[in-house]
Order: sequence, then C-alpha cells, then structure tokens
Amino acid sequence: MKYSSQSVAMPYFIAAIGLFVGQIIFGLAMGLQYVVGDFLFPEIPFNVARMVHTNLLIVWLLFGFMGATYFLIPEEAETELYSPKLALLMFWIFLIAGAATILGYLLVPYSTLAEMTGNNILATMGREFLEQPLITKIGIVIVALAFLFNITMTMLKGRKTVISIVLLMGLWGLAIFFLFSFYNPGNLVKDKFYWWWVVHLWVEGVWELIMAAILAFVLIKVTGVDREVIEKWLYVIITLALVTGLIGTGHHYFWIGTPSYWQWLGSIFSALEPIPFFAMTVFAFNMVNRRRREHPNKAAVLWALGTGVMAFLGAGVWGFLHTLAPVNYYTHGSQITAAHGHMAFYGAYVLVVLTIISYAMPLLRGRAANGERAQVCEMWAFWLMTISMVFITLFLTAAGILQVWLQRVSDTPMPFMAVQDQISLFYWMRLWAGVVFAAGLVTYLASFFVKGDSKPLIHA
Amino acid sequence: MSGTFTKAMARNIFYGGAVFFFLLLVALTFDTMGGLPKSDNRANLTESVLRGKHIWETRNCIGCHTLLGEGAYFAPELGNVYPRRGAEFIKAWIKSQPTGTPGRRQMPNFNFTEQELDDIVAFLKYTSEINTQKWPPNIEG
Amino acid sequence: MNTCAQTLVSPPALPAVASDSPARRLPGDLAIWFFILAELLAFGAFFIAYAFARANNVELFNEQQLALDRNAGALNTILLLTSSYFVVRAVQAAEAGQGRRAATWIAGGFACGAGFIVVKLFEYTAKFAAGVSLSSSTFHMFYLVLTFFHFMHVILGLVILAALWNGARKGRYSPGNMNGIETGAAYWHMVDLVWLILFPLVYVMR
Repeated sequence: MKYSSQSVAMPYFIAAIGLFVGQIIFGLAMGLQYVVGDFLFPEIPFNVARMVHTNLLIVWLLFGFMGATYFLIPEEAETELYSPKLALLMFWIFLIAGAATILGYLLVPYSTLAEMTGNNILATMGREFLEQPLITKIGIVIVALAFLFNITMTMLKGRKTVISIVLLMGLWGLAIFFLFSFYNPGNLVKDKFYWWWVVHLWVEGVWELIMAAILAFVLIKVTGVDREVIEKWLYVIITLALVTGLIGTGHHYFWIGTPSYWQWLGSIFSALEPIPFFAMTVFAFNMVNRRRREHPNKAAVLWALGTGVMAFLGAGVWGFLHTLAPVNYYTHGSQITAAHGHMAFYGAYVLVVLTIISYAMPLLRGRAANGERAQVCEMWAFWLMTISMVFITLFLTAAGILQVWLQRVSDTPMPFMAVQDQISLFYWMRLWAGVVFAAGLVTYLASFFVKGDSKPLIHA
Repeated sequence: MSGTFTKAMARNIFYGGAVFFFLLLVALTFDTMGGLPKSDNRANLTESVLRGKHIWETRNCIGCHTLLGEGAYFAPELGNVYPRRGAEFIKAWIKSQPTGTPGRRQMPNFNFTEQELDDIVAFLKYTSEINTQKWPPNIEG
Repeated sequence: MNTCAQTLVSPPALPAVASDSPARRLPGDLAIWFFILAELLAFGAFFIAYAFARANNVELFNEQQLALDRNAGALNTILLLTSSYFVVRAVQAAEAGQGRRAATWIAGGFACGAGFIVVKLFEYTAKFAAGVSLSSSTFHMFYLVLTFFHFMHVILGLVILAALWNGARKGRYSPGNMNGIETGAAYWHMVDLVWLILFPLVYVMR
C-alpha cells in the first residue's frame, strides 16, 4: 500500500464479501424452492428471496467497485484520497441503507413497504432489479454523487492515467444511467424500454469500462508489463465493448412492443458482443505470458485469468447462444436466460471484484502476498466456485432447452407448471452444484484466516 | 511513426466510436418513440389499467412471473394469460391462493378487493394486446 | 498511377524506414487498421443480414429497389471516388514534402465528400416525403440503416479530413512524419470502399 488513504477500501471489501455470503444463502434457498415449492412459505416467498438474492448481488458488486476505486485511484493519481472521512461516512450510510432495505424486504409485506417509503408519490418499485424503495434509490444517488465527487477531486489534483479516466467514466455512466430508474411511465412498453437503459447499459455498457479498468490495473501490477501496452489494449477493448454493446441494447427490444427493425439491429450488433470479451481473454493471457516479474501473489493472477475466460464464456458464448432473434423467439424468458445470467455475472463482475480483493487485501493487511497455504486455499476456492458455476450453468441450460422444447417448440405444447415438473431433475442437480459453490465460498472465507508465513512487503 | 500503434489514436477511436454509437442509439430511440403508438396499445391505457399496473408493481409479481418474457422464471408467463385463461379464471385463481398443496410452489394471498381484481385483469388484458411481433410462440407462453 | 501506388506503399527516400523491408511497411497507425477491420466486420455482418433478408423476400426487395434513386447513387459514387483520388494526391504531395499543396488536395477531397452529403440529404428528403421509414418495410429498414450508418461515417470522415487540412496547412506532415495523414487517408478510403460495396448491393444488384 503506497498511500495511507487507500485503506478505506478495506471496509468496502469486507462488506462486499459479507453481502456475497448473504446472496449465496438466499440463492440456495431459491434453488430449493424450485424443487420443494413450499419451502419457507409463507415466511419467505420466492419473490422475496429472489429480490434479496439479486439486490444483494448488485449492492455487493457496487461495494466491490467502490472499494476497488478507493484502492486504485490514489495509486494511479499518485496522491492521497481527497477525503478519506467522506469515504468512510458514505460506507456506513450505504451499508446501513442497504441493510435496512433488505430487512424491509424480509420483514414487511412489499406493498406495505411501498406505502411506507413514498412509492405513491413517485412509483418506481416492483420492477425487476429496481425493487428498491424510493428512499433507497435516492440514497443510492446521494452516495454515488458523494463518491464520485471524492474520486473526481482526487483525480483532479493528481496524475491522470488512462486506467483512472476509464474507471471514472464507467462510474459516472453508472450513476447517470441509474437515473432512468426513476422513470416509470404507465405505458408498459416505454417502461420496459427505458428500464433497459439502466439494466443493459449498466451490465453491457458502463460496467464493462469499470471491469476492464480494474483488470488492467491488476495486470499492470502483477505482470510488470509496460503501462503503455496495457493502456492501448484497454482502449481497444472498451471501444469494442461500447461499439457493440450500445446498439446491442436492441436484443432486448425484440418482443416487448417495439418496432420489428430491432430484431435485425439487435441481432447484428449483439452477435458482435462476444468480440470484446474474447479480446479481454486474449489480453489477460497475453499480458501474463509477457510478464516481467513473478509476482508473489499467484492467487490474484489466477483470479484475473479466470475473469477473462469466464466472462467470455458467460457473457460472450452464452449470450450469443440465444441472442439472434429467431433463436430468442423460442428461448426468451426461459431457463436459458437464467443460465446466461448466472455465468455472465459470475464471470465478468463477481470475478473481477474478487480479483482486485485478492490483489489488494494482502497489501491492505501489510504484506505483499499471503502465505503459501493461504494462497492454495484461495485457489481451491476459485476452482470450487468456478467449476460449480459452470455446472450450474450447464444444468440450467439443459433445463432451458427441455423447457423450450416441451413448452414452445412441440406441436402439443405443455403448460408451464407441467413442464417444470418434467425438468425438476435438472433443478436438483443445479441445487447440488449450488451447494458446492457455497462450499467454495466457505473455503474462500477460510483463506483469509489461514495462518502461515506471508510474503513481506519489499520497499523499493 | 508509421506501423506503430499510438495510444492517442486508440483513444481518439474510443471517444469517436462511443459518441457515434451513443448518438445512433439516441436517434433510434427517437424513431422508436415515434413508432410506438402503432404497437404499444396506448389507446387502451385506461385508469383501471394504470391502477392494475400499480398493483402489479407493489405486489412484486415480477419476482416470480415473467411479463412479455421479462422477470423471474419461477411461475408462468402472464403477458398472454388473459387470452389463455380469461378474466373470471384469473380472478378466481388469485383469490384461491395459496393452494397449500405440500411440496408445490405457492403464491401468496393478497386480499384484493373486487375492484383491485378487475384492475389487475384490465392491466393483463391491455398487456396481452401489445403488438409483440407474435411472441410468445404459443398460448402456453 | 504506378508511381502513385508505389509511393503510397513504400517511400523510398525515407531514411528512417529504409532499413525496413519496404513492401511490409503499413501506412498509418496500426490502431486505425484494427479499427478498419472492425468496421468492415460490422458492415460485413450487415451485408450478410441483408442477403438473408433478401433471400426470404426477393420480390419485395426487387420491387422497392426500383424506387431508389440510382442516379443520385451513381453521382455519389463518382464523388467519393474522386474524393479518394484527391486524398491519394494529398498523401503523395506530403510525401514529396509539399505540405501546402497537400492541403489543397485535401480541400478538394473534402469538397467532394461534402457534395456526397448534400446529394444524400436530397435523396433522404425525397424518400421521407414518400413515406419511407425504418418500419415501412424490411427493405426500407435495411436501406435506411445501411446508408445512414455509412452517411455518419462520411460525416466522421469529413471531420477527419478537416483536421488533416488544418494540419497540412500548418505543415505538420512531411516525409518524416506521415503517420497522421496516412491514418486519416486510410480511414477515408475505407468509407469509400464500403460505399463501393453498398451501392451495387442495395441500389443495383437484382
């Protein structure tokens, strides 16, 4: 750690991991509800569990992004953070607001929560992933603005590198596109159209800038490859991401009441969307192969390479699988979508956050890298989680193909629930894969407590 | 020098490309907004439909069901439930939840008034009449 | 023309690159070639999609194609070809150390490109008045998307030419410093090339 204010990243990372654990617990509960329908009913109905599962994911990734930013920006800008106090204050506000929102979901009926929190003044709730009460949404905006202020001010007084500029653009985009979550017209088609301006332009737009910047930062640190080279790659990758991803939004505009030309535009551009992810994989491997030093933190290198590969598989390959309009006509809103969602989020965003945590945490704890045993434990966690996620995806894909066949392609289509019974075997297998994932997560947590001789920091 | 790959050039291409495609998206959005009246069934956006949408949202229906294919995949697609089941069935179904059958997926009871049930049905009817380019492939959704 | 092509590929009088194998030297920035590749890929995807759509609907495509203004298209083809030629001359001039002269050639190229824009705007106005829109038919959708997409590239190309003109007037390009002008020229030729495929495909081929 080169600047003392980088240490504010620590609570962000800890909170991120804590919320990650919560996300997986609720994921397991839902996995069980898929096969034992009345599990936890009426205490925690499926919709509540799902809301907690997805919202925790978003919040912990945001914690991860913010932690990554606080760690990375001072080092890139070569100056202390503008205000570490503000960063800590925002941490507590965000954590408390997030926890209160989750408790609200769990303890209060959703419609009561909506009434209590001003949803009748401005109705924004009850839309997928944007279920947060109005006050939480406003809170998110305030925290985001304070955070961006802090980061922008830090950058203005320091060195402006490509990595920090790209990261900052991604974060500003994140905040700006979130504003569309306040727009909820009565016209369902418009509602859905602009809902994607948050969801798609986040995960297939500005988040990719954040992800690529974080990955580039870690690669510079662990490989020692010339910054010039990595920054050029960074520009190429994010150009490809935005060029394909912006009009690629059209792959969500096939069947929601929008003009039919989106079927062509969405298909063509999103067919190109795997290219940036492929470039990212090539980039990561290329840089590691050209490394100029053996960084003692081998686990971080593994996470970084895993990010490249899994993002390409999950977002690129599994996305392409069902993105062409004639295919999507049958697969839209099936378990295939769920399969893609799981692997894409894990591969691209979960892994990139775990990559920066893996790199930064030892430094924040005053060592260059963890000891051998701790690293081996961490790498076990990587493989357990990654392989089980591959299986979750494969089982959901199998379930999805069967579902599409029985419910939509067949000459004698079966009703939804009848199909669900037919494919329950795959849901069971998915659940067991989920249990292995949870075991991987426990291994991950354990790796932080494994004792052993850590690699000391060398002050050059 | 020639044959090199300068960072400045990569940067210019990034900014040019990003701005270009964002403007293209905005232009297409304008065109889409202009074309929507033909497909989004706005003529039937009655007060009752709007109330129905509000109920749909405040009960977090999207947390289990899909609507025009978007949402959770735990319970049936409801974008075409109106032609599939009809108004009376929908109302009776909502009222009779949860079934309580052991091991089966359960839907909560929301204690709706008759008016609220009519609003929900109106919303689902309006939704089913949106031009979705013939999606879903069949009535089972 | 022979010497022209030769100077484009290999500047023999250049000491800095004389040691390189002259046939291998890539004019312009490597980044622009990646970009051009990506652009051609994107247009290529569109052309393939067009072929698929046409195969499913040959009659509609043939019928509506007849309503397009082929004369305007042909005029635009000539304009872009002329413009590309002028830009080639500009690069040659810069190569010969005549920076000011390069500026004049670029201005000529710019004028032709601007002419393309004007012709295209007249064409669009007529089409919109006739009720052509993205939603009026699949053929119209492709016609508008492809030509408009290309149209935007021409505009971007003009911005680049304007920057080159400015640079050339200030004498920024010389035999030892060709990166900028070659990069811009490569982009402009790509815009021309795409039109040379687009025009027969959408306006003429049946």
